[in-house]
This record gives sequence, structure tokens and C-alpha cells, in this order.
Amino acid sequence: QSKLNGEVTDNNGEALPGVTIQKIGDTEGTITDMNGKFTFPVVLEVGDSLRFSSIGMKTKTAAYTGQLSLKVKMETSVIGLNEVVVIGYGTQAKKDVTGAVAMVGAEDMKARANTQIGALIQGKAPGVQVLSSSGKPSEGFRIRIRGTNSINAGSEPLYVVDGVPTQDTRALNPADIENVTVLKDASSAAIYGSQGSNGVVLITTKRGNTDRPQVTFDTYAGVAEVWKMQKVLNGEQYRDLMTEMGQNTEWDKYQENTDWQNKVFQKGYSQNYQVSVSGKSNKTNYYFSGGYLDQTGVVRTSEMQRANFKINLDQEVTSWLKVGTRMAYTSYSDVDVKDNLDVNQGGVILGSLSTPPIIGVKNPDGTYTSNPLQNWENPLAHTDAPVRGYSNQRMLANVYAELQLVKGLSFRTNFGIDNNNDVYDYFLDPFSTSYGRALEGQGINSTNNNGYFTFENILKYNTSIKKHQLDFLAGSVIQKWNWESTHIERRKFSGGNIQTPNAGAVITAADARKSEKSNVSLMSRVNYSFADRYLLTVNFRADASSIFGQDQRWGYFPSASAGWRISEEAFLKDVQVISDLKLRAGWGIVGNDQIGSPYASRGLIGSSNNGYPIGGSSQPGTYPSSLENRSLKWEESEQINVGLDLALYNGRLRVTADAYQKDTRDLLLQSPLPTSTGFNSAWRNVGQLQNRGIEFNIGTLNIDKAVSWNTDFNISFNRNEVISLVDDMYEGQIAGRGAAILVQEGLPLGSIYGYRYAGVDPKTGNAYYLTKEGETTFTPTPEDREIIGDANPNFIYGMTNTVSYKGWSLMMFIEGAQGRDMLNATRFDTEGMTDPKNQTSAVLRRWRKEGDITDIPKASWGNRDNSRISDRFVEDASYLRIKALTLGYNFPASWLDPASISGLRVYVTGENLFTWTNYSGFDPEVNAFGGSNTVQGIDYGTFPQSRSLIIGLNVTF
Amino acid sequence: CNDFLELTPISEDTVENGYNSAPQIEAALNGAYESFQTTDYYVWDNILLGDVRSDNFYAGGDNPEVFEYDLLTTSPTNGRVNKAWSEIYNAILKANVVLEYAPKVEDPKLSEERKNQILGEAYFLRAYHYFNLVRLYGGVPLVLEMTKSADPEKTNLPRAAAEDVYAQIATDLQMAIDMLPERYESAMIDKARATKGAAAALAAKAEAQSPNRDYNKVLKYIETVENSAAAYKLIDFNHLFDGGHFNNEESIMEVQFIEGTDGNWEPQMNLPKSISGDDWRKFVTPSHDLINAYDAQGDDIRKNNTVLFEEVSWSDEYWFNTPNSSIPFAYRRKNASGWASADRQYILRYADVILLKAEAFNALGNISAAAAEVNQVRARVNLPELTADDMSSKENMNAAILLERRLEFAHEGQRWYDLQRFGKLVSTMNNLVEIDLRTGKPTAYNMTEAKVLLPIPQNELDRNAALEQNPL
Repeated sequence: QSKLNGEVTDNNGEALPGVTIQKIGDTEGTITDMNGKFTFPVVLEVGDSLRFSSIGMKTKTAAYTGQLSLKVKMETSVIGLNEVVVIGYGTQAKKDVTGAVAMVGAEDMKARANTQIGALIQGKAPGVQVLSSSGKPSEGFRIRIRGTNSINAGSEPLYVVDGVPTQDTRALNPADIENVTVLKDASSAAIYGSQGSNGVVLITTKRGNTDRPQVTFDTYAGVAEVWKMQKVLNGEQYRDLMTEMGQNTEWDKYQENTDWQNKVFQKGYSQNYQVSVSGKSNKTNYYFSGGYLDQTGVVRTSEMQRANFKINLDQEVTSWLKVGTRMAYTSYSDVDVKDNLDVNQGGVILGSLSTPPIIGVKNPDGTYTSNPLQNWENPLAHTDAPVRGYSNQRMLANVYAELQLVKGLSFRTNFGIDNNNDVYDYFLDPFSTSYGRALEGQGINSTNNNGYFTFENILKYNTSIKKHQLDFLAGSVIQKWNWESTHIERRKFSGGNIQTPNAGAVITAADARKSEKSNVSLMSRVNYSFADRYLLTVNFRADASSIFGQDQRWGYFPSASAGWRISEEAFLKDVQVISDLKLRAGWGIVGNDQIGSPYASRGLIGSSNNGYPIGGSSQPGTYPSSLENRSLKWEESEQINVGLDLALYNGRLRVTADAYQKDTRDLLLQSPLPTSTGFNSAWRNVGQLQNRGIEFNIGTLNIDKAVSWNTDFNISFNRNEVISLVDDMYEGQIAGRGAAILVQEGLPLGSIYGYRYAGVDPKTGNAYYLTKEGETTFTPTPEDREIIGDANPNFIYGMTNTVSYKGWSLMMFIEGAQGRDMLNATRFDTEGMTDPKNQTSAVLRRWRKEGDITDIPKASWGNRDNSRISDRFVEDASYLRIKALTLGYNFPASWLDPASISGLRVYVTGENLFTWTNYSGFDPEVNAFGGSNTVQGIDYGTFPQSRSLIIGLNVTF
Repeated sequence: CNDFLELTPISEDTVENGYNSAPQIEAALNGAYESFQTTDYYVWDNILLGDVRSDNFYAGGDNPEVFEYDLLTTSPTNGRVNKAWSEIYNAILKANVVLEYAPKVEDPKLSEERKNQILGEAYFLRAYHYFNLVRLYGGVPLVLEMTKSADPEKTNLPRAAAEDVYAQIATDLQMAIDMLPERYESAMIDKARATKGAAAALAAKAEAQSPNRDYNKVLKYIETVENSAAAYKLIDFNHLFDGGHFNNEESIMEVQFIEGTDGNWEPQMNLPKSISGDDWRKFVTPSHDLINAYDAQGDDIRKNNTVLFEEVSWSDEYWFNTPNSSIPFAYRRKNASGWASADRQYILRYADVILLKAEAFNALGNISAAAAEVNQVRARVNLPELTADDMSSKENMNAAILLERRLEFAHEGQRWYDLQRFGKLVSTMNNLVEIDLRTGKPTAYNMTEAKVLLPIPQNELDRNAALEQNPL
């Protein structure tokens, strides 16, 4: 007897590569090659059945009747009902899922070059907002699933990489990722209990599943630039303005004409290489990869490098024991530039606008030039003079063993670690900058050494009795984090050659400290389904955290969800149009202990850095650093979710809709105290937040002839509201102008707060503001401040269109946010006219003489009354962006076969090619306060997103 | 599993175990002293509020919030006003911690004598901080116990009357006078820690400043200072600020710094390029009015210790409207040492006590005794004795004392409160003529009675509903 050969094609007779073929009831299987051909690895017996499955195709079963070869035609289906979804501690058929779950699969990832996991998810999953608060290569992403759920505790979802939870995803290599699942509602995330309140992002990395070893090589190179510049005053206009404000200098000495934006912004280049080998032999699955990424940013001197190594290995030891490991090692480094700061503090982006054009870069003696009217150095002094860099080595690894005890009963034990060490070095020479000269050089070395382990033991049992299908899960998890840091700073260097702190004569700081945190959890889950029609999931989890006092340590988190597959009911079964219809509903409570202070319930006593000298030498000094609160407990988030999955016309139209309400109670709030207590704030469980929303995902297969065209569209509406709070909180301090954000009952987080601007008085040229009563005044009081903007979008959306024809494919991904406000605080510095900063050309419209009618008040030296935080600076920052446009070509097999290449794809991608927005700043997609829960929608000289062009190549052998 | 979860902080103590032994309570006390070093208020803002706000100095620099101080337009949202308030109250918390825990320490290494000294030092510190608060803001909430709860019922305290704050200061200082030694084991320590002399000197100052002042009491306190075994006396004025005579005999108490490692950043903010190495526009520019006052007296010694002229590349709105002119810099602290100078402020020095004594004598009708005190201070800077005209009336004598204090304590953060105490604040600021060269017109200070006090910080009003704002 011989092995079965075969060929798989689609409706049109085109060969289908990558189809998985499995013998039903067995683990044996193979995959079709680039020509759609396969040879089944074991000899089949008559009566065996083979299952053919592939993403985007309807799964097909074929019986083996003893034939020598088999031709299988598969039908297109986007529905993927039998697609398996990764859920917490297991997998589930998509049709059985009762919670709100979104998936991003390998297909989505292949479509374009990505440097970070966040970019994979952005715009792809409804209800998932990816915030890239700046365009720095070193900047990570922040993800908010269904709004911001906390004020002081973390709002970032839990990331679980192959079963190991982690916080920082910057080290992950997207090329190693097989798929990403986002668990959005309480019932799906509940199995992660205390860590699941902000949703969970499950990341599964690749494993080998082809008999023949598969070697892939991916590479791309790209170039990026900022997509917008600002128009600033030229030398003459600058001199006019300064003279108007009574400033004078030897203007004749300053005759340069430097375009500082041109100096600061540059073309950023990136290159990426990735090699992987994967396969399967006997009872071993393997995947090895190595990757390297090198990126320079669009701002001078900013850069990032990342090298990744990955080994995934699974071994069947016996019929009842399977062991495996996932290991990832990353070496990461970057050079950051200072943004979100004014020129006085060395902010580079604001420096590029605030520095007058009349000076050059360096003085004849090699020092950096500065503003002639005030010694603010030009931005290149801050990009070029300090030698600095951050580097991080990280090991994320786990080993597991899976035992099949008796039929249906299995036990899995998993031990994982996430260890990372990072080092930050900084050196400022004693010559070239004024700060360096004052300190006679400065050398800093900071290190962090963070360790983490998790140890999980899970027992699973599944059984079916007639039409009843039951899955049980019970388990325990213990986790521990430990953090160590050191910081050394020395000053007084003899020169610039030795850049490590050892060469400095004076020790200004030497610090080393440690902290730790632990969690213990017990969990259980039951999945029940009857006749594939009625589905029920019940979770219960108990968590204990070392953060809380002994009596408050344990939190108990139940959840339940149910599904009804109406399409399986007799009355719908014969309706051909409907291929799937499922109603889902869920409820659950999840906890949160993700606060940055592992000892938040303690009354801590800190030790001061240098002590206080008594008798001529420093003596140790302590200070009370936090207020004790032993009754501090878990923050709880209760969520209800109802959803609907609908597939029509054999999956050509798929709709998923969900509505939810999330109430977060007993917020872990670092609530402000009257400072007369001696403390600025205290950790308390106070307040309540609510997020409500609806989200839709619509997928269509528009054409599936020789040309195929898919569309995937999602849109999400979320409303956030602070339901209760003890005291109002004023946040988002902007360089001497006070708070710009108010957190108050009845308002959403991210409410922009300030004065109401009423124009310019033609007589005096001063700015009018409105009082609470609506009258105009030059001197409003703090009570006249009101809500002047809302940083929350009305809705966010994303749409992907993919058109392919033969080997060609064109993918366009657009993404946007509508109805969000931004406080363009950059304009305080560039339109304020209070000091010798250069200004944008908007100030050419300024009031100059009595009778001038204009919208820009007069220049007023040293006085900010004309540039208060007001709605004058609040702008609509809605945007619509072509996030990516990719044209790819797969070379036909006939060309490749002679060279033993099984696949070759080339592509070109444009990122952020076009942006439609009314926002006047560099970029609407930024936030000066990063991923802050409360302070959103502020641009203050923030590193903008860039536009880039990438050319790439994938080869498979 | 409880062991696994019971994690005690590794790099911090907690209130349960951090104040039990002698070295721990000493560290808590040192931490309380450290507020003199680590707060912006005691390093810098006390100068801005005492001198820049007055007729002695202009703001200089580039900070709009400091311009507000200078131009008497300070608003409740000015961040520095809030910082000063919260920093001083944080210092009070540290003193309250010592007062709470020191009596409970049962450690054979802590003698009863030292325990009393520790309490005395903490009483002194608390009184000193309230003295600053009441001068800045008027009546403020009296927080006399360590904060233990975040409950608004307990934290939202209303303002006490200014008289009550002064009464509390007097009570605390009487405790300090009773408990503190006149000297410790070395001169270096004598000037770092509170002593009986320091407590009495502060009590004299506070009594003189209080609304219900009694100058007989002031004299009694001064007697305690004079009788101290520390033997305070005037020294060569040039030695007071040369950076080479720290903890000298005139010093009653001073903030301690160590150059380089535990230094003072304030001198770098003021000193010109030749000293500081950087040539951005410096803060705290001496005023025409101040320099004229020195020149009118021919007071070169003190002038040269207060003002340094140097050529600069920028223009200054009060000194020169053309670049490369010579402008004055504040010069009492003379070494910048790269933001980490050993130069420091006196918390109390003996010349202050002498001039306070003169003030008391004059208030009690003894003009000639007053003149004798003033003349001591004048003699050491080679100035002639007060004239007959100065001594011709109580009012003239007061004017002479006020002027002497101005010349003696410029750049030491006293001027505003001296003017206030003498009842001359509103008139002096309104009569001040400082020409802004950009407009050629005098700056309008529009001084009012309400501006004597700072506004209560808006930030604090937002957090504490029981507070009421000062008249603005």
C-alpha cells in the first residue's frame, strides 16, 4: 500500500497552498505545498476520513475509499465557524464562545510590516483602542479595551504570551506571533480574575506543523518622515516682535537663517530581518527564529534596535505525556529624545519651534548657541550633546508538562518567568552646553533588574453524555514579582573622553532599592453546551494580593455567560440565508490590584537621599512618605455584555455586535488630600467609574471570482463617566499655567478645563474672557473656569479592504477617531508672546495698535493673562488616516519551483500616507501625558507620528 | 500561603517599626531638619517672597510666576504659592511625627535628657514653620498632630485666627526654650540644631510680628538669647557671607549644606556667568532703590556683599535696554559650585536680635538705648553713628531701624515682613518708583492692604471645603 497523494483547489480551480489536512480522530496530518499538492504521511485505511481546513475556506471532509489520489475542491467561507479560538487556559471552537472575544490572525499580520504588537491590533478589533501617544521609536503602545476603567490603578490590559503574563510588550517580535485574541468582557476575562479587569490580550507564538522543515526569511527596509511642518517667524519678524516687547540685543551679530525644524526632523530609516525554521518530525514540533530590527526616528538622534531569538518546542514523550517550552530572548536598545517639555527645559520638539532662526548651531568655540535674549540653548544641544542610551535584556520563557490521566481528564503544569535587566546611561560633557559647564560634566547610570515567575497547575475534564457536552477546569496560580533598581550620578569630569560615572569627582546620587509583590489565585470554570444550541460558561476565581492588609487580602470574582445558537434551532435550520446566528449574554465581576505601589496599604517611611548634615557630615534622615490604610482592598469592575453573531450567505456577510456596561467600584484611588495634612494624597477605595458602549464588526466577501475583495469594518462607541468621587481632582499641569484637566462626578475622564476666550479688545489688545455669568472680563477668577473640551472620541473605527488578483494583492487599512478634542498646549509657547521664544506665523495677526480687530491678543512680556488655558487653544482633533496601504505580489510557483523556493512575496507599504484632520499641530494622534488615565488630549511639543514607506520581501523554502 | 503573601517593605520602614529606637527617632528629627534643604520654599521662595516681592529686588529670570510675585499680581493659581504652602505643611508633619513618637521610644540608648532635647527641637521647628505660614497667609489651619487618616472630617480643617497661630507659636517656643540646651558638644552642631538661644530669638521675632505684640516680652526673650552660653556676637561683616566662615559666632542657626554632595542650588540661580559658568538671564536682580539706599549711606561693605555688577549679553528692563551693559546680581551667596554650593541662609543671626532689641527699646520709649543697639551694627561696617535727627523722635528712630534692617538683611528674606511690622508696607510699595525702560514709565505696583498676604492656594481650596480665601 502506498501513501495518498492529492491536490486541493478552490472553486476556480486555483491551487490552494497551506491547507491543513488531518485524519479525523488522530493527530496525524499534513499541509499542502505552494501548488496545493500533498502526500499524506501515513498509510490510510478504507473508512478513514480526512478533514481539510484552511482559513477563509469552508472545512471539508473526504472519505478514503482506497483511491490512489484525491482531488478536493474547497469552497470559500469567511465564517470559520470551526475555527479554534484561543481563550484563557485553553481553546474553544468559535461557535461555542459566549463572551466578547476579538481575534487578529496571521493573515492580518502578514499584510504589512510591523515593529510592535500594538500596531497589529490598532483598528482591527472593535472596542480596542490603541493609543500611540507619540511617534518615538522607543515609545510603546497603550491599549484601552472598552474605555479607561480606573483612575490610579492600571488601565492596560493583561498580556499573556504563551501562558506567561507580562506588562511590557515592546520586546515582542511580531513576526513570531501566530495570533492574538482579545478577551473583552468580564466572563471571558474572568478566568484571569484580578488581572483581567481591563481585558486580556492573549498572544500565541508560532509552532511548527509541516513535515518538511520550512525556512522563512523576511526582510524590509523603510524610510519615514514627519508629515507636517509649522510655519514660524523669520528673523526679521522675530526681531519686530521682540522689539515690540522692549527686548534688545546686538541684532547685527545674529544674521543666520536657520530652519530649526529642518535641523531637528530628519528622515528616519528602518531595516528588519527575520529568519525562522519550523517543522514537525515524529512527535516533535519545533520553531526557531532570530530577528533584528534597526530603526532611526524622524527626530535627530532618536533610534531603536531590537534583536530577538525564539525557540518553541513541543515533544510528545509518551501517549499520555507531553512537554514543551517557549523561550524568547530579546536584546533591546534605544536612544530617546526629550519631548513634552518647553525649550527652557530642553524639550526638543518645542525647541525646534521656539528657537529663533537668527542663530547658527554652534559658536566658534564649539559650544552650542542659545537664544540671544535668554540663554535657552538650541534644540541640537539637547539631541547631540548628551550621550545617552537605554538597553534592555529580557528573557520570557516557560516550560510545561501535560498529562493525560484518564480519558477526558488532563493535568497541566506550567512554570514561566519574565526576567529583564535594563540599563540607562547618560553623559553630558563639561564644555558644550551651559548645564554641562555649570556641573562640569554629568554622568548617570541607572539599572533595573526585574524578576517574575508564575507557577500554574490546571486540571481539566471534559465529557459528553448524549447531547450534553461538559468541560470542567480547576486550578491554582501563584505569581511573584520582584524589582531592584540602582541609580548613580557623578559630576565634575576632567573631560569628555571617559563617559562612565567613575570619572566624575563628586558623587551626587547613589541609590539602590528593592520591592516585591505576590499573588495567589484559585480558579474554576465550567463550560456546558446542549446540542450545540445552548451554551453556558460559569467562572469563579479567588485572588489574594500582598498589596492589601491581611483582612482585605482575598477578593472573590464570579462570572457567567450564556449563548443561544438560534441557527441550530429547527425553525431556522433550513433557512439557507442564515449560516449562523448566535445570541450571547454575560455578567461578571473582575478585580484590579494593578497599582504602582506594592506597599500601598502601609504607612511608609522613606529615607532621604543625602540625609542632613549635622556637625559637618550627613546624618540619616527619614520622612513619612505615605499614609497607612490597612483597609485598602480590591478595585472591582462589574460588567454586563450582550452580543450577537450573525453570518449570512454562507459567511459572505458576518456581523458581530456587542453592547456592554462596565461599572468600576471602590476605585483604588490615590485621592488628593488637603496638603495641610503634610501629604499630597492617600490610597483609598473611593469613587466609581462607568463605561458603556456598543461595538460592531462587519466582514464581507464582496467578490470571490478571479478577483477577490474582502472588507472588514469595525466601529466602537464608548461613553465614560465618573459616577462618584470624593473630591474633584485637578490634573495635567502645564508649565506654570495650572491644571488643564478636571476629574469630577458626572464628567468623563479626559475633560479639558479652562477659561472661555472671548476675543481681543480692539482698544487695549488684551484678551477677553467670559465669567461664569457670561460677562466679559480681562481678569477672570479661577471659579470662571469651565469644561472646554472632551478628549474622548465619539467613536473610533477601522476598515480594511483587501483586493487580490492572481499573485497580486492590495490592502488598504484606514483608521480614525471622530469627535475628540485636543488642547494644543504647544500654542501656549508658540502664540503666547510672553518671552523671547520664537512664535508661529499666526502671531503676525497680533494686535498692535488701538483699533486693530483681530483674534490674536497683543504681545505681553512676562505676563500670561493673554494666553491662559482657554478654549482658544482647544481644537478638534478628529482624524481619518490611511494607516497602511500595501501592494504585494506572490510569485507563481512555476517560477519558483526550479529554485526550490516554495513561496516568494514582495510588497511595498505606505504608512500614515494621508491624514485628514483639522488639527493644526504636528499630529492629532498624540498625548503629552502618555497613557495617563485622566490626562488625555494634550499636545505639548509631543513627538509626532511619522509617515513612512516600506519595501519588503518574504521568502519561504 | 500567608507567608508567601505577607511581604514587608524592603527599602522602607513602616510606621509600626520605624520610630521605635533612639537612632530611628534621631533620623526622624534629621528628616524634619532636612526640609530646610530640600524644599523650594526654604531654599528659594523665602527670598522671592521676602525680597523680590519688596522694594529690594526685581524678579529677573524668565518665570511668569516669579514676575507675579515681583509685580504684586500673585494669583491663587500661582503654582509657587501652592508649593510653599504644601512644603511648609509637610515640614510640620515631620515635626509632628517626632512629637508623637519620641515620648513613646523606650530605648536605653535614649537618655531622658536627649529625649527632651529632641522634643524641644521639634517644637522649635514646628513653631518656625507656623511663623512662616502666618506671615505669608495670615491665619492657617493649626495641625498639631501627625495625620493618621484620610477621612475628610479629620483633614478638612478651617483656618485658625492669626492671633491663635501666634499663640501656638509662643506655646511651642516656650516648650522649646524649656527643653533645649544652650549649647551642644560642638559649635558645628550648635548652629545646625535648635538651641535655647534660637528658640528665644525666634520667640522674640514672632512676638514682635504678632498683632498683639508686647515689646516687654520681646526684651525678655532677647535676654535669654544674650545670656546663652553660646555667646553670640557680631563678627566681621565680610566673613558672614564669604563661604569661609560657616557656623560662626554671629550665627544663631543656619541651614547646613555640603558642597557637591549635599549642596544648595540657589546661588546658581542668581550668580553671573563669571561665577556660575552659565549665562542665561539670572533671577533676583537688585533694584535701583536698594542700590541707591546703600549709596546714600556710603555703605560699601554691605553693598559689596549684596551686589555684584557684570556685563551681560541680554537687556534688562530696569537696568539697561542695550546689550552688553553691566547689570547687578544678587551676591550674598557667592559660590555656585555647579548647583551644589555650601553657601547657605541664616535661619537666625545675632544682628537681627540686636536690631530687634533696638526696635523694642524704641517702642517702649527708650530712643537712646535703641540708638546704641543700632550703632553697634553700623560700627562694624564702618558707618557713623545715628544722627541727632534720627534720634529726634520715635518715628524717626523707627525709620532709621527699618533702613538699617534693609541694608543689613537684604537678600535674607526679611524686607517684606519688616515693612509689614513697621506698618510701612503699603505706602512703601506704592511710593516705589522703578522705571521700566521698555516703556519709560514707572511700574505700577498698585499695592493694597489685601496684598500684604498671599492668596490661599486655589489647589488647597479645591481640596479643603472648610477653607476661606483671603481678600484678593
